[in-house]
Amino acid sequence: MNLHQVERILCKPLIVLICLVFFLTCDGIGTETSLKQVSLLPQWIPQAQFAGYMVAVEKGFYRDAGLNLTLVEGGPGKPPFDLVASGNVTFCTEWLSNGIKKRSAGLQVVNLAQVIQKSSMMLVAKKKSGINSLKDLEGKKVGLWVDHFFLQPMVLFRKNNLKVDVILNYSSVGLFLKGGVDAMSAMWYNEYHTILNSGLNKDELTAIFCSEEGLNFPEDGLYCMEQTFRDDPEMCRAFAAASLRGWLYAFEHEQETLEIVMKYAQAAHTGTNKAHQRWMLARMKDLILSSGDTERVGKLRPADYELVGGVLKEFRLIDNLPNFDDFYRGQK
Amino acid sequence: MIRWLRSRMSVKLAALVLGGTTIVFALVLGYSYYSSREIILAEAEKNARNLSFSVARRIEQEFRAIAKVPENLAAFLEIGRLDKDTLLQLLRRTVEDNREIFGSTVSFEPFCLDEGQRYFAPYYFKTNEGLAYEQIGSDTYDYFVKDWYYLPKVLKAPLWTEPYFDEGGGRIVMVTYSCPFFERDPVAGRGRLRGVVTADVSLEWLAKLVGSIQIAGSGYCFIVSETGAFVTHPRKDLIMSESMFSLAEELHDVNLRTIGIAMTREESGFVDVGSTMTGQDAFLAYARIPSTGWSLAAVFPKTELLAEVNELHRTNVLLAAVALLLLLTVSLLVARSIARPLRTMALATKRVAQGELDINLSSVRSQDEVGQLAAAFVRMTEGLKERDRIRNTFGRYLTREVVNRLLESKDGLRLGGENREITMIMSDLRGFTALTTSLPPEKLLAYLNRYLGKMVDILIDYQGIIDEIIGDGILAFFGAPEPLEDHPARAVACALQMQAAMDEINALNEADGLPRLDMGIAVNTGYVVVGNIGSEKRAKYGAVGSQVNFTGRMESFTVGGQVLISSTTYERVAGLLDVRNVLEVEMKGIPGKVALYDVRGIKGEYNVTLADTADTLIVLKQAVTAQVYLLDQKVVSSAGVAARITEVSLTTAVLVLPEPVARWTDVRIIVGDDRTEQVRGEAYGKVISMTKAEDRYQMVVRFTSASPEAQKIFREAVHSS
Repeated sequence: MNLHQVERILCKPLIVLICLVFFLTCDGIGTETSLKQVSLLPQWIPQAQFAGYMVAVEKGFYRDAGLNLTLVEGGPGKPPFDLVASGNVTFCTEWLSNGIKKRSAGLQVVNLAQVIQKSSMMLVAKKKSGINSLKDLEGKKVGLWVDHFFLQPMVLFRKNNLKVDVILNYSSVGLFLKGGVDAMSAMWYNEYHTILNSGLNKDELTAIFCSEEGLNFPEDGLYCMEQTFRDDPEMCRAFAAASLRGWLYAFEHEQETLEIVMKYAQAAHTGTNKAHQRWMLARMKDLILSSGDTERVGKLRPADYELVGGVLKEFRLIDNLPNFDDFYRGQK
Repeated sequence: MIRWLRSRMSVKLAALVLGGTTIVFALVLGYSYYSSREIILAEAEKNARNLSFSVARRIEQEFRAIAKVPENLAAFLEIGRLDKDTLLQLLRRTVEDNREIFGSTVSFEPFCLDEGQRYFAPYYFKTNEGLAYEQIGSDTYDYFVKDWYYLPKVLKAPLWTEPYFDEGGGRIVMVTYSCPFFERDPVAGRGRLRGVVTADVSLEWLAKLVGSIQIAGSGYCFIVSETGAFVTHPRKDLIMSESMFSLAEELHDVNLRTIGIAMTREESGFVDVGSTMTGQDAFLAYARIPSTGWSLAAVFPKTELLAEVNELHRTNVLLAAVALLLLLTVSLLVARSIARPLRTMALATKRVAQGELDINLSSVRSQDEVGQLAAAFVRMTEGLKERDRIRNTFGRYLTREVVNRLLESKDGLRLGGENREITMIMSDLRGFTALTTSLPPEKLLAYLNRYLGKMVDILIDYQGIIDEIIGDGILAFFGAPEPLEDHPARAVACALQMQAAMDEINALNEADGLPRLDMGIAVNTGYVVVGNIGSEKRAKYGAVGSQVNFTGRMESFTVGGQVLISSTTYERVAGLLDVRNVLEVEMKGIPGKVALYDVRGIKGEYNVTLADTADTLIVLKQAVTAQVYLLDQKVVSSAGVAARITEVSLTTAVLVLPEPVARWTDVRIIVGDDRTEQVRGEAYGKVISMTKAEDRYQMVVRFTSASPEAQKIFREAVHSS
């Protein structure tokens, strides 16, 4: 029984009292207090990268799934797995490579859904620096982000026997724009557009996509502690389903979704603008629906798992690749 | 509708004038508008560029001044070692003394200043409560990785950051000038980084500065950073979130992106920014602020730049419209002043064409060409009137055909003639001359003109040309100057008609108590010379020749009421004639007898017949005595012969004489007693037959005229018989 039916019944005056009694005693009717309290921490600041979850909250998809979900504001200084492990948040988003590393290192995290199916990691260079292709990076200064962002570019360089001068990049595109580096790692859905909207034209840039260089690592996925999953698998599946539902809705309703994203972004004072979020949402669609097949949304393919795991193992970032079925608890 | 328009001169004139003037106005106004626009825009561009330059320079000066502070401090720090306290004091003074600096820090590399301290970054900044102090480094604010620290570290050079919200320091939106300072070794030169000195500039302050710049109307200034991001802008919501490029992307304005790129790369410029950015079409002048690499832009809405020119143009167009209206009115009036008299004259011309020659154009009063035309027109109609009068006057004296011939044909006035066959008629009144003494002159002329008037009418009817009127005699001819095919028949018919008219005239005469008139007419056909006879000064159109004389001689043989035609005429119309009698007469100079035909009627086309006169001779019971005097060439001989009138009719008398009288002799008969000297009546006549009766001679006399007394006697004699 839901609220609509309750209203209909309430209209009949004779049964009002009975319903009141029923209302008070029965716990089968949906109220605020019987939704499950959960929280989700995205791995970065509020932006269209997490539009699906915002939409799911705003449109009540989580509520429909029986969840009262709190969308926590992510950003620097909030490592998602740490906060999940400590129990501060129920769910988080994180990269597949990170998830595998953590699992391999002993943290019992499980993947509930592989949201981003492709790699959006790229290297951007100014053609002016003489870089027109990957091999031109030889000897050049390349700005790379730290932590897990380091992996793919380094693998790329090693695979192609490139000796580059790596400079750590702690922030956005400032170092690159000021000429501190000749190339930088960037996310296709984010920094690449930032560079374009900083006054560089597409034809002035060289773009090298990891996905095209044999390092098509899926990125964002939904994670929680294995225990959480064991305790209530239904809830976890419902959460994943609602999240994906949010994403599908977002892709169908661009304008509405952008309004929602801007609301969250402005509340967090991220200093973004609609043009940027529009780009990001469009790229998300490319990355999440990469196969064009909505059936495959959110599914982790064993092949991709093997690919990522294989590289991690090769570069000794993990000892062993955990069992796929232990790791992945989402839709098959 | 079109036809009506085309028929009115006023419309045509007005349309032409209006059309021409409109085109001229349009060209002139259009040219003046566009050239003044160009001038204004050129001027505006100049001003805009100047303004953006000067503002940019102003800000540059500020920034240069601001930059000097951390640079000096950094230099100082490189040169020597400072203890913490001195450093703090120095830092404090820096912020205190420099109005434009919001805050300043000297942030050291880990464990650089103090081996026990990872973070050492003292920060002084301004608040509403006064100067504040903080150590900004902590676990939650790892300043080493912040742009303001890291970038100059990597670049090893001072720089201005992009605007940012500093959550670790002043917690406002700011830009920072970061100046790294290094270890200095006299030998090795520059060494490791020791730290970064900063000066924070509040964007509030910058916004106020830029906002205070006055641009006419709704223009404004804004600043974009090196990446095109809005540093200051009247729209606060753009700052820290939008850039020229994000705006261009969101508004789908490629031009805006191009401008953004130009602004971030070029020193200065002046562009048309369209209306996407400001809502109305505007120009944008930009100038670089060299130290920060920012660009200052000044926006000028086009409408405001061109407001005055547009206003002027609007006024011009209005004035032009009024002028055109006036012009229209004036040209219509002018056209009307020309058209109206012309229309009046056109109507007058129509009337003249219909024969109406009394034209009044006094309504046309102007002195100009139109007035002159009207005056000339009136003179023309008067000339026509005069000509008509002359023609009519001439027509009284000459037949219309002759007048026309004279007035209209080129040769009309030519003297000289031609040989032509014509038919002549000559007539005169019997016994008229005798009356000239007995009637007063006015009555005589009236009497004569009544007869002549009728005769002339008939002659004109038959298209005869009247050659002469001598007293009571008329000479007319047919067949000249205009040739007439049937001139013999025509002449005969005319003569008969004239005779027939005598009854009417005599009836009128008797009513007036005037004596009867009898007319004799002779008709002859022959060749004569016709033409203008006379001289330049005095001429007439007439006929000369022997045939004319012959006609006159024929005439003398006529009696009252008789039409005699010559044989030539007879031969030409024989079949149509009703001949009563043929007279064989002898004429002097012509051998043999001349046949003269007494004609009573003509058939055919003209069909004129004379009524038979009831002219029976009545035998008188009592014979009337009379004296007969012979007239020889109109001269009365004094010797009279006593005679007795035995029979008498209206026109004839039979007399008995002892002596014979030659036929055709003109006689004068005095009716009266031999014994008494009292003249009782007088009559004139012609002897038309003479017969011998025993020892007496019987004479038939046809009266040509009889005095009233004689007529009375005859009447009495008839009634008593």
